[in-house]
Amino acid sequence: MKLYLYGIIDSSDQITESIYGLEGSSVYNIPFCDIGAVVSEISPPIQGVTEGAVLEHGAVVEKLMADFTVLPVRFQTVIEGRDNLLLMMQSYYKDFKDNLARLHNKLEFGIKVIWPAEKIKENIIKTLKKGKQKDSESNSSQGRKFMTEKFEKYKIDKEFQAKADKFIKVMDTFFSKFATEKKLRKLKTEHLLLDAVYLVEKSQESNFREAFEHIKSARSDFKYLFSGPWPAYNFVVLSKQSALLTDSQQTDLLDKVTQDQMLVGADSI
Amino acid sequence: MIANTIVETESPEEFIEEIEKAQDCLPKKIDANPKTVEKGLAKLVLTLIELIRKLLEKQAMRRVEAGSLSDEEIENVGETLMKLENKMDELKEIFDLKDEELNLNLGPLGDLM
Repeated sequence: MKLYLYGIIDSSDQITESIYGLEGSSVYNIPFCDIGAVVSEISPPIQGVTEGAVLEHGAVVEKLMADFTVLPVRFQTVIEGRDNLLLMMQSYYKDFKDNLARLHNKLEFGIKVIWPAEKIKENIIKTLKKGKQKDSESNSSQGRKFMTEKFEKYKIDKEFQAKADKFIKVMDTFFSKFATEKKLRKLKTEHLLLDAVYLVEKSQESNFREAFEHIKSARSDFKYLFSGPWPAYNFVVLSKQSALLTDSQQTDLLDKVTQDQMLVGADSI
Repeated sequence: MIANTIVETESPEEFIEEIEKAQDCLPKKIDANPKTVEKGLAKLVLTLIELIRKLLEKQAMRRVEAGSLSDEEIENVGETLMKLENKMDELKEIFDLKDEELNLNLGPLGDLM
């Protein structure tokens, strides 16, 4: 029997609400000490990643999140049988407990910001051109011309990055006031200035939302995306070694967890 | 009680476009298809060459900025970097690769370039 794993929760009690997971299967909790692994039984191997299946997986995790602290598990994590699941729980128990304690009463929020990259660059070019004009004309060799062009681009890019840092710093100052942890990604694309996730205490949720509204109104030429509350997909941290298993035992165990993902929150939402 | 997760934006299409752009260059799995293995290998090798080329270029720019290169050195470095860039363009064309494709996802460390 294969068990599809949705998440680890801070309770060993049975789930009272009826929750249905992938392919309409019943979701239940397998207790281990004072925590539990939320699973459903699946018979055939999962056929690739479909939008429907991802949404079903996400819906289960979100339902759990309403009543428990959840360590969301990556989509398509399947374990061969109850014994292997319990072995895995035993192996990672301390990690799970540490994460559950750290993430208790906390929610994840995502913030993405698009900035007008072309306009920002144009302004940089204008400013840089003001400073110099005579330089490039007298340089005739190909190598020299190439270097001059590259150096211009280098200066523009350097200034572009500096401006991005400046804007992100301002925004992050607001959000960080109400967050306990964060992960920021700068300029994933030229336009995507910021792709951030923040871990926020439940009690700070409204303050965090207010901070977002404040930032949003400050720059109307920027575009914003706010998402959440999510389970802490991006803040589950597992130590590499488990204290309870030897290296070879651990390798055996990991082999039994099908798919290439182990337990950690998904990379992105 | 349900968590009431929301995704709120006034520009959904733009965000979708940017997210897709960011994901396009980050293959999560190696494409081991026999028909495309040559291209896959070329992509990996060219990504590494491109990384080294960009590092060399950046270092050269830093030295120009600091004024530590003589005119002659600037000409020599410029010509070398230009030839390297031209050669890379040729190879990209041969293997039908775009600039955005020459990148690697290093997991928690982010992207290579």
